[in-house]
Amino acid sequence: MIARLRQVALASLVLLGLLLTPAVGGAREYLQLFVAQPYLELHTGPGRGYPVFNVVPRDGSVDVLFRRTDWFKVRTEHGVEGWASQQDMLGMVLADGSPFRFSVGDRAGFGAHRYEAGLFAGAYGGANYVSGYASLSFNSQLALEAALGQFLGRFSNGVTADVGLTHVIVPEARWSPFLTLGVGEVHVEPKATLVQAANRTEQTAYVGGGVRYYLTRRFFVRGEYKAHYVFTKRNQNQEADEWKLGFAFFY
Amino acid sequence: METGIRILLLTALLAVLPGCASVRDWYHHRAERRAAARAQSAPPPVSDSSQDESAPPRVIEPEVARRKIKVPRIHSSNVEVGLNYGVLSIEDFGTHPVYGISAAYHITEDFFFQADVGRSHAGRTSFETLGGNIQLITESERRFTYYDLSLGYNFLPGEAFLGRGIAMTNAFYLIGGIGGTDFAGDTKFTVNFGAGYRVVPADWLAVHITVQDRVFQSSLLGTTKLTNNLEARIGTTVFF
Repeated sequence: MIARLRQVALASLVLLGLLLTPAVGGAREYLQLFVAQPYLELHTGPGRGYPVFNVVPRDGSVDVLFRRTDWFKVRTEHGVEGWASQQDMLGMVLADGSPFRFSVGDRAGFGAHRYEAGLFAGAYGGANYVSGYASLSFNSQLALEAALGQFLGRFSNGVTADVGLTHVIVPEARWSPFLTLGVGEVHVEPKATLVQAANRTEQTAYVGGGVRYYLTRRFFVRGEYKAHYVFTKRNQNQEADEWKLGFAFFY
Repeated sequence: METGIRILLLTALLAVLPGCASVRDWYHHRAERRAAARAQSAPPPVSDSSQDESAPPRVIEPEVARRKIKVPRIHSSNVEVGLNYGVLSIEDFGTHPVYGISAAYHITEDFFFQADVGRSHAGRTSFETLGGNIQLITESERRFTYYDLSLGYNFLPGEAFLGRGIAMTNAFYLIGGIGGTDFAGDTKFTVNFGAGYRVVPADWLAVHITVQDRVFQSSLLGTTKLTNNLEARIGTTVFF
């Protein structure tokens, strides 16, 4: 037991060391921006409630150290470090006088974005279902999507993996419906109390649809139905219904 | 004879004099010819009528190419990965140490997604202890592994102060989600909910204290019931 604890502690230390490596890593080149509005407010923390403790006057410059959610950590010419909001940063200019532009999580981004990911709870063939997905958009309407899920039921447990295409019908609408089509695999582990209990992995294909509803910032709700056709090695193919609802975000 | 010579001379004079009258500016005529020749050899004067009268005269032709500025990429630091250690009270099986890994993605200043994996080892139930040599589940089935996906909400963000000189941002957060638990030879659908406290001493480092309840249905002890498995843990995470 003690040897095992020691192993775990050692492994944890190594992992922590690996984690810390990039944080301590070398100096990087920062983006320099100039204040074009009357002043730039610096907050003590990355949130709307943190007080303003410093301002940078017009034509002053800041180095952008990094970004966390909708806040930018900046350093002034005098070495003061603080947090500037995304809204304030939109009023900054680059050294050549052109406006500073970056990805803003808003309603326009909901209509056209590159990546999205989300978590779902639902039902798969009557079993409880947990799943997550990530997608890569080719344009505002067509996206390649991969989903992983686990179902936990009374008679069997299992995992599903799907890859498919999603077509968003009206991307700019707040309630925006979509259709999906793809293929996948399902691994089923029947509970040991049943006869002929053997684990099996089978190919599937699905067709489905759903709706997305934009909430706020980068968030949206997504509800979805997929009709899975499981190509079994037995005489008859199976069908499984998947219903799920969850939160997703875009980037 | 004399008259003949006189008529001849007069005729000659009459023939020449009107000619002289026609070339009266003969001296200036040469000067004009020279001026015309000079004018022809010089380039023709630019006609002003072709230019826009309203435009100001250009002093310098603008042939400056705009300098291309290389914009360094801004590093996004929204991902938080770390380790944690604590205690887990497995219903009917006692309280035992638990260790785990967590990863979070901060979407906005308010919300984050979090994935957790943790492991513990269940003890003996009171039924097993009192019953002597009875074993409800095998030793390997006592391994308790949970994994879940949750959504967190930063509930009370603020600042914590250490003396006069150090201020650290912090937040109290609520978290809830779903996942699975591998225990007693089965995987159970598990719902989790809880709350935590995060303090950020440096931009890249955070310390968490979390209390979470993991609820799943179990029929190990005869009746089917919802079991509550409370967990308290402390963890360190690093932002990327």
